[in-house]
Amino acid sequence: MVEITLQNLRKTFGEVIATDDVNIVLEDGKLTTLLGPSGCGKTTLLRLIAGFYAPDRGTILFDDRDMTEVPPNKRNTGMCFQNYALWPHMTVFDNISYGLKMKRTQGMKYTKAAVNRRVNQALELVRMGGLGDRTPHQLSGGQQQRVALARALVIEPDVLLLDEPLSNLDAKLRNEMREEILRIQGELGITTVYVTHDQIEALSISDYVAVMDKGYIQQYASPRDIYDAPQTIFVADFIGKCTFIDGMIESAGDQLEVAIPDGQKVVGRTTLPGYPFEKGENVRCAVRPEDLHIKPMNDDDNEITGTVSQVIYIGSDIEIYFNVGTIQAVANLPPEFEAEKGDTIKLYAPRDQMMVLPLGGVDALRKVPGHPLYASDDALEPGEASETV
Amino acid sequence: MVEEEAPSAQGEGTKLAEPELVPAQGSVTTVLEQIGMWILGLFIGLGKRIVSIGRWIVRGFQKILRFFRNPGQSLLRFARRLRASSELMGREMDLLSWIQLLAIMAIFGLFLIAPLLSVVWGTFMTDEGFSFEIITTIFSNPAYVPQWQPSNFNIIRPSPATGIVEIWGMDLGIILNSVYMAVFVTMISVLLGTSFAFLIARYEFPGKGILRTLLLFPMLSTPFIGAIGIKWFLGGNGFLNNLASAFFEVFGLTWTRIEFHGIAAIIVVQGLSLFSLVYLNAYSSFMGIDPSLEEQAENLGATGFKLFRSVTLPLAMPGIQAGAILTFILSIEDLGTPIVYSEDPQAQNVLAYQVFDSINAEAGGVNPIGPAIGLILLVFALSGFIAIRKYAALRSYASASKGGQWNPRTRELSTRAWILMYIVIIPVLFFALIPQISVIYLSFAQYRSSALFPPLTLDHYAILGNLNIQGALVRTILYAGVATLGTVLLGVSAAYIISRRNIPGKTALDLLVTSPIALPGIVIATGYFTLFYNTPIFPQRFPMTLIIMSFLVRKFPFTVRAAYAGLQQTPVALEEAAQNVGASKNKTFTSIVMPLIGVSVLAGALLSFVYSVSEVSTSLLLGGANYDQAPLTWWINDTNLGLPPSLGAHPAAALGVLMMVMQMVVIAVTNAILKTRASAMTGI
Repeated sequence: MVEITLQNLRKTFGEVIATDDVNIVLEDGKLTTLLGPSGCGKTTLLRLIAGFYAPDRGTILFDDRDMTEVPPNKRNTGMCFQNYALWPHMTVFDNISYGLKMKRTQGMKYTKAAVNRRVNQALELVRMGGLGDRTPHQLSGGQQQRVALARALVIEPDVLLLDEPLSNLDAKLRNEMREEILRIQGELGITTVYVTHDQIEALSISDYVAVMDKGYIQQYASPRDIYDAPQTIFVADFIGKCTFIDGMIESAGDQLEVAIPDGQKVVGRTTLPGYPFEKGENVRCAVRPEDLHIKPMNDDDNEITGTVSQVIYIGSDIEIYFNVGTIQAVANLPPEFEAEKGDTIKLYAPRDQMMVLPLGGVDALRKVPGHPLYASDDALEPGEASETV
Repeated sequence: MVEEEAPSAQGEGTKLAEPELVPAQGSVTTVLEQIGMWILGLFIGLGKRIVSIGRWIVRGFQKILRFFRNPGQSLLRFARRLRASSELMGREMDLLSWIQLLAIMAIFGLFLIAPLLSVVWGTFMTDEGFSFEIITTIFSNPAYVPQWQPSNFNIIRPSPATGIVEIWGMDLGIILNSVYMAVFVTMISVLLGTSFAFLIARYEFPGKGILRTLLLFPMLSTPFIGAIGIKWFLGGNGFLNNLASAFFEVFGLTWTRIEFHGIAAIIVVQGLSLFSLVYLNAYSSFMGIDPSLEEQAENLGATGFKLFRSVTLPLAMPGIQAGAILTFILSIEDLGTPIVYSEDPQAQNVLAYQVFDSINAEAGGVNPIGPAIGLILLVFALSGFIAIRKYAALRSYASASKGGQWNPRTRELSTRAWILMYIVIIPVLFFALIPQISVIYLSFAQYRSSALFPPLTLDHYAILGNLNIQGALVRTILYAGVATLGTVLLGVSAAYIISRRNIPGKTALDLLVTSPIALPGIVIATGYFTLFYNTPIFPQRFPMTLIIMSFLVRKFPFTVRAAYAGLQQTPVALEEAAQNVGASKNKTFTSIVMPLIGVSVLAGALLSFVYSVSEVSTSLLLGGANYDQAPLTWWINDTNLGLPPSLGAHPAAALGVLMMVMQMVVIAVTNAILKTRASAMTGI
């Protein structure tokens, strides 16, 4: 198994920047998810790793081997395509054995018996034993997915690449296959890159998540960190629900004091250690709906007053939409809480849960010393920086 | 109307609010008005298109001018772009791709571009160097430019001696003759082709299967073969006049016998032979329209003619236009029909015949006026081709349908409606099939029989025992076979490079390899004479090499389009999956790509083969250099010109039937293989 290092990668299609300034290390044996909305560059990044695209600049290392110029058939990656790409003119067995027949180990190739044994093992692994003589169109969507997975795994790849593997399956099958992929990945301990736009999928299966937007990696961290400490407004918004309140820094320090509309004031923490906040800087405070409470937890909790605009009962919770000045906020409160439209309500948020985020997205990350994007070349070119906002 | 007015009424809030409703107009005037608007719109659209082609050309010139205005900087930018694209080439191309690309460039450069350039060269370079002399000679020659004498418009000419009314075309000078002839042919084709296509694509009625099969027959014959039959069938004492005369006699009336001559005859022959091109393109366009688009329009209240005019027709337009332009080009370059009718002096007054006439194939002599006329033909053909590629093909609306069920929109016709339809359609279909009916009938009809239904005989098929004909048949199959082999090798390569390799100049390559479908064969053949005559490629009395190469180059588009269509239906991911598990590019090509597109390639190759066999213009010209090497079409013409009864029209028709049978087999096979994809072949 290998560790994948992506250094300073950039890929453009004509004028369009598909992905840029990618600097991450995908750890050996871990499952890393590339997560983002469509068009964010996650598939481009995956295809760069597979070798179907050549980067405009930057390097791709598998351990310490430079793979940047290596053609896809020499990279020993196993890829599952979004639409499975099973060859319609071959049986399931032929599809899976194809890669083994191509494979050369020190100039030697597999014997027929070895190929048979491995294909059958792979079929067993994906629980498709005995279906080798079917053709792809005789299989259901889930079965096709399994064959595609077996085909990618049978060659014992260094890296498993999965491009939205579950997007064509129905909800039930999706859960089943998700478990299946997790099981296989766990059994084989293979370095895996998983592309998806489904945040729940990403949080639930990944060791690490790289959230991408507009070609840039916004945050690369464990699922827990991504949810608890989103470093940009995009990440906070894209992962889970969030209430945003615009404000202005009153005083910067360990704790940040922010003036919010209606003359109120909140104190919060930053999720981006090292970012140079300044007094008077416009920022956005983010708080998860479940972190707004009816009663204060601690003495110094933030106090937010607003007017209820909508009450939605969702069983386990009650969702209260309320306005702070002109900003609409949402809180998840216990179901027994009673409120009506027009009521004034007072809620409390612990200082730890009040996240103060700088405006400016990727540009803000560039100001953080030690961040992979810090002082990268592009930050110095004025024209380009504006595109990233 | 209401929706459009609502916002404007709001916008002018302070003024007196305009009424939001206007009375809906009476139905008859509305329909008439709409038809009027539609015809007007058609012309406006056509005008806009011509203007934008003009602008495109002007922009091209401006680009070149800009280059020379600031040569240093431009060169620098050019060099930079060259470096970038060479980098791209290096990344995209491997050794095999390079060999393929270079082979294609070599063949097309030598046997297509060079001859055409030689025609251009021959037009402007005289013994005294560069001059417009030949062009000015042509345009000052009264035979070429319009002459507006009343006698030229004398279309209906009763002939007192025979009692036959002859219908001639107008004689407006050779250039305009060709143009108006092609325009009329195109109009006939669009009318016939679009109507049939719509009927078949959208209605369900008894006998539809038979009708659809019958409509495949017009694909079978070239205008050349059709003309031989039609000349006899529609002649003054031909079958149709005899039939009408006999029919009138029953009622005690006298039928005035009608005979087509000159350009009028050519228009009839070509119109009936070429409409299938429009039919096929229109049919596949109608079938390719996502039904939900029409259903949505119906859902919003559009039905009947309104629906057809506002949604169906605009969506099918690119296909219809492509077919129409192709018909125009094929009509203007057709040599076979004018040759069959060449005993009418007027039929000789078209561009294609004039080029043919200017070349003495046996001696290799080329009248310098030949290339010049060829150039005029070339200009027409090329502008048509650019128009198709730039507008029609690009605007073909790839249905962006996102799944969902594709319910074909066919409607049951009521019994009354389909009986009514058949009353109209049987005569129309009969006329549309005249080229095929007449050739078959002619080949079996007894020579010089004056009976209404001449006794049938197999005598004319004795021509098949003729050694010359047998030799020609074997030769033709050999020529076409070799050419098809080359077409497959290079065509698959070209299609693969165009569809899979992201290299600069890809579009140009695509244009180059598909252009022969629109380039006049007679001009290419002229180029062969001016460029290659008396060289090792074309020694005197040895046209074989060039006949094969002309087949290869001219019928290349069929294979390349078929292979391309196959590749387009094969997701790239299938190839990437193979590379991902370790297959090299070449291995991927042989084990994944070829099996998947093989069937499409086979179909395209069959079409290339059969169209090579029935090729007329280059065969007639090059075959004339040595009849011992001439292909079958040359011998059909020779037979047609010979003395009856052993030669002449009847045996020529018998050979035509032989050719049609061959074509029918191939087309049936390709249709069975490709099913609905067959349209990919005929469209550009």
